[in-house]
Amino acid sequence: MSSIRHYMERDMIKWLRGRIAVISLLIMPAAWLIFVGLTLPVTFTGNYLDFITPGILVMTMLASSMQGGALLMFDKILGFLNKFLALPSPRESILFGKILFITIRGVIQSTIILIVATLIGASILSLAQYGMIYLILILFGIVLSGLATTVALYVGDHDSYAAVNTMITMPLFFTSSALMPYSVMPPWLRAIATVNPLSFAIDAIRSVESGVVPFMQIGILTLLCGVVLIVCIQVFRKMTV
Amino acid sequence: MNAIETHDLTRYYGTLCAVDHLSLSVNNEIFGLLGPNGSGKTTTVLMLTTLLRPTEGTAMVCGHDIVRAGEQVRRQLSYVPQDMAVDIKMTGRENVLFFAHLYGIPRAKDMTDEVLAIMELTDRADDLIRTYSGGMRRRLELAQALVHEPAVLFLDEPTIGLDVAARKKIWEHIGGLRKNGMTIFVTTHYMDEADQYCDRVGILSKGQIVALGKPSDLKSELMTDVITAKVTGPVSIPALEGIHLVGQAEDEISFTAENGREALPLLARAFAEQGAVVHALSLREPTLDDVFLHAVGKQDEPRHFDDHQFRIMLRRRT
Repeated sequence: MSSIRHYMERDMIKWLRGRIAVISLLIMPAAWLIFVGLTLPVTFTGNYLDFITPGILVMTMLASSMQGGALLMFDKILGFLNKFLALPSPRESILFGKILFITIRGVIQSTIILIVATLIGASILSLAQYGMIYLILILFGIVLSGLATTVALYVGDHDSYAAVNTMITMPLFFTSSALMPYSVMPPWLRAIATVNPLSFAIDAIRSVESGVVPFMQIGILTLLCGVVLIVCIQVFRKMTV
Repeated sequence: MNAIETHDLTRYYGTLCAVDHLSLSVNNEIFGLLGPNGSGKTTTVLMLTTLLRPTEGTAMVCGHDIVRAGEQVRRQLSYVPQDMAVDIKMTGRENVLFFAHLYGIPRAKDMTDEVLAIMELTDRADDLIRTYSGGMRRRLELAQALVHEPAVLFLDEPTIGLDVAARKKIWEHIGGLRKNGMTIFVTTHYMDEADQYCDRVGILSKGQIVALGKPSDLKSELMTDVITAKVTGPVSIPALEGIHLVGQAEDEISFTAENGREALPLLARAFAEQGAVVHALSLREPTLDDVFLHAVGKQDEPRHFDDHQFRIMLRRRT
């Protein structure tokens, strides 16, 4: 099990030392909060910042996971993966190390967003509420980073993966419930938004903020997490021997 | 028990047979696997390091089956691929310590210091790899491979893209490991290096071993002297008694002769009679290059070993 931690630490060191990458990952979501959260003239809610923060959190998790998905593919292209696979430690820990790193990185970014949001006027929640928000984000992060890593490994070249990345991230964000409630959406958008997986996580966080414990959503996310991990392990095994 | 034992090891990629019923025993030596590009060297190493499943046949590393006991096999070996994969944003020490942790060895820190010292990297251990030269990076990879004291070390093209001094240094280190009882399995394109440093070599052509033995034995099998003639013009190969063709690369033709000194004027005259222009004639002892050309040529390979293409590939890789 400790090998998962060591694989994670390697990526963490490499990430923290690439300072520009760290700064850019933090600035993007902060810019969303400030320039969209504070400026958009909306009429459906008194505090738009409170409304948009869950959306930004989930979008950050998505962007971070999609970007992180390329890590294992690059390890393969650059020859690291073969070195790791020839080690006696369990091979799956390579995959788990990546998922752990990407999820932790997403959580770090989410924390900064929560801090910035609070500083510029979002409501302060209880500890239990923050705990549940983190739980939802972590489960969602594991699902996304597992899928992204496996898809990238399967696709195998970074141009195609970058194309998949842009094709998915932005459309998924704009067709979710991140920016507006279902009630003000045009009907066609509402139809898409209700089946959008991002909306699922965003709505879960919104119910936490409104004081409801979303047992159902957390349960479904946990189940999904398990299914995705099993599929990822199968694909990883198939791709590596 | 031999460190490496293969029996009819075979690998197909679709219908292409990359490794064809390879049977080998390697123990406590530096074994060099030589061969042209695409002859199956890397495929063989990938199978022995459990990174690729054989299509047919079996292989044992330190008595463990490479398919059924993958994890035990990996405990006994270290593998350094040719890609030169070290994390440039990490220091030398961090890179080695990372592997020490993954191998799960006790006293990881002490062993890291030890192998860094062996590879003469102690002074630079805390510098980022981005400041390391190619030779130092290769030595760092060796340090990573040695940190768990493997019984068998697999090196795929260990000196590719390095300058002469760095190559010599790598081989000296490999020689030192062999003295400590390690079995080292190397693939290389550099015949002179294989000749000088390998205890035994196997020449692979189209997935089959076409020559196997000590470099000195292989060379003496070719017998006597090698004559290289540089000729332009209408050339046909003269049939002279005691002089045999080895191979032809562009305008250079190689022969072997029982008595090289006497063969030189005979060849010169034979070429002159054909109306060809002889630019140079040289006489030398046979090298592993000749063994290689002889062994690979014997296979009637349709696409001959393309020297020019190979140099382009080398440049791309560095």
